[in-house]
Amino acid sequence: MAAATVTSERQFRIHDFWRAVVLTVLCGLQLLPLLMAFFISFKTIPQFSRVPFLPTLPLHWENYLSAWEIVRLFLFNTVFVSGLTVVGVLALGSLAAYSFAILRYPGREFLFYLVLALMMVPATLTLIPSFVLVKNLQLLNTRWSLILPWIASGQVFAIFILRTYLQSLPGELFDAARIDGASEWQGYFMIALPMSKSMLGVAAILNILGTWNNLIWPALTISHLERQTLTPGLWSYQVENFTRYGFLMAGLLIGSVPLIVLFFFTSRWFVEGLTSGAIKV
Amino acid sequence: MTARPVPGNSKDPLLLQVWKGRTGYLMLVPTMVLLGVFMYYPAFLGLYRSLFDWAPGLDADFVGLGNFVKLFTTDKVFQQSMGNMLQLSLWYVLSTVFVSLFVAILLHRMISQRLKYLYRFLAILPVIIPGIVLLMLWKFIYDATVGPLNMLLIALGLEEWTRAWLANPNTALYAVMLRNFPWVDGVAILILLAGLQVIPQEIIESARIDGANNWRILRSVEFPLITGQIKLLTVLTIMWGVQEFTAVFAMTQGGPINKTMVPGMWMFWNAFRINKMGYAAAIGVILFVLTLILTLINMKYITTQEY
Repeated sequence: MAAATVTSERQFRIHDFWRAVVLTVLCGLQLLPLLMAFFISFKTIPQFSRVPFLPTLPLHWENYLSAWEIVRLFLFNTVFVSGLTVVGVLALGSLAAYSFAILRYPGREFLFYLVLALMMVPATLTLIPSFVLVKNLQLLNTRWSLILPWIASGQVFAIFILRTYLQSLPGELFDAARIDGASEWQGYFMIALPMSKSMLGVAAILNILGTWNNLIWPALTISHLERQTLTPGLWSYQVENFTRYGFLMAGLLIGSVPLIVLFFFTSRWFVEGLTSGAIKV
Repeated sequence: MTARPVPGNSKDPLLLQVWKGRTGYLMLVPTMVLLGVFMYYPAFLGLYRSLFDWAPGLDADFVGLGNFVKLFTTDKVFQQSMGNMLQLSLWYVLSTVFVSLFVAILLHRMISQRLKYLYRFLAILPVIIPGIVLLMLWKFIYDATVGPLNMLLIALGLEEWTRAWLANPNTALYAVMLRNFPWVDGVAILILLAGLQVIPQEIIESARIDGANNWRILRSVEFPLITGQIKLLTVLTIMWGVQEFTAVFAMTQGGPINKTMVPGMWMFWNAFRINKMGYAAAIGVILFVLTLILTLINMKYITTQEY
């Protein structure tokens, strides 16, 4: 019996070994372009033409310094815009989700479907009229032209997942508070919000990823480069600096850092939220 | 449904119910205002404007369904863009489903929890690299003179295979399509992994007692039980593929000679390069209808498997 257990344990280890090899190759190939960018980012142009894809000495850190001079502005703008957007999305989204999930009033289902229906409206349908609207509201070239439409569209998905989550909580929680004389607002602030922290985290991260990666809308509404966000900023930066390889790669890598940092602190929430089965159809 | 001491007893007259539920409505006000102004108004305006020949600053001419007729009968670029979109979407679905399924199963079978955690992290890592960075890196990889792809071919002695991948009309669409090799998609993997993890252990155990090996368990137990997730991924990927034009916008802008044109890019081009706003809005409406059909299919046919 003991011998059999040992054999099967060893077999497990051998199987795990091959699984690990295959996964290492796949993930390694997936991340290879980033490794390439990392090596190139320390090169001068002559170093690049001599040895393009392997590390060369000396390392030229100044690529990062000069790239930082340009990219930091885009970074600041993106942090500001995505930050305000995600605060707005969470505030409005959680309030609406609480109202839809917990409170009772005539027309509640109808109003919810009015929100849900917007999940079927693609950004391509609204792109042109939204541009005309933002232009008519004199918001072009302001950060509001990004923040307001992004809060509006971002809250739809947040409402959807937060409502599902709040409905899965035991209703007695809210009933008990109500019997004790708590108002609906207290139910929202003292029960709903603290209990849905992890779901708020998931909604926040997905929202930040969405706005952070948006290329088309800011490229359309923001033409002053000093107000541009990171994604279109890096794109125009690339168009201008395509042949200054070290400088280009340094800029692209600097632009990747904030999300990596964010993910390091929140990956547990993110992965657990996505695998918890709470996001379903 | 349990009886709850909630405001708004259903026996009250309607107006009283509305009055008692006022906090509920109040909480929806900011959401509804923003949705009305920035979602509903543009959506209806888009539908309405698609019926006009319209450029900013000029009078709009009502043309009925003329824009749609023109798109489907005389606009060769649009028709080509639909074909390209179809090929791209098909590829996105195939690569997403197969690669993600393969990785998710490998992760699920991992005995060592520490290794499982590590590789799950590595698989999700590309998701948090800004999309534009990956697009720019792949544009660089495909570059004719300094791109690593051509360098690799030269090193392998395949010099005659080298080309300007994104500028060559014969390869541009495939270059856009095959970017991000080997297509490890962290979010898709997590969705499938979630499906695999909620399968009750007893089902797997009893299959094993009946003599099923890993492959048989995969084929006859696990695979049927995650068809819900696979269908969900398929529909989400197609819907994304229909609308997506960020990659084309960033890498080729639809060129060379419209070989990588997709409907979204063609809409953008018409609206903001040659000011045919009404015509562009009609393309937006077509993409909306396609999305709507896919959503309805999704709701009708996709149900999660019960155990």
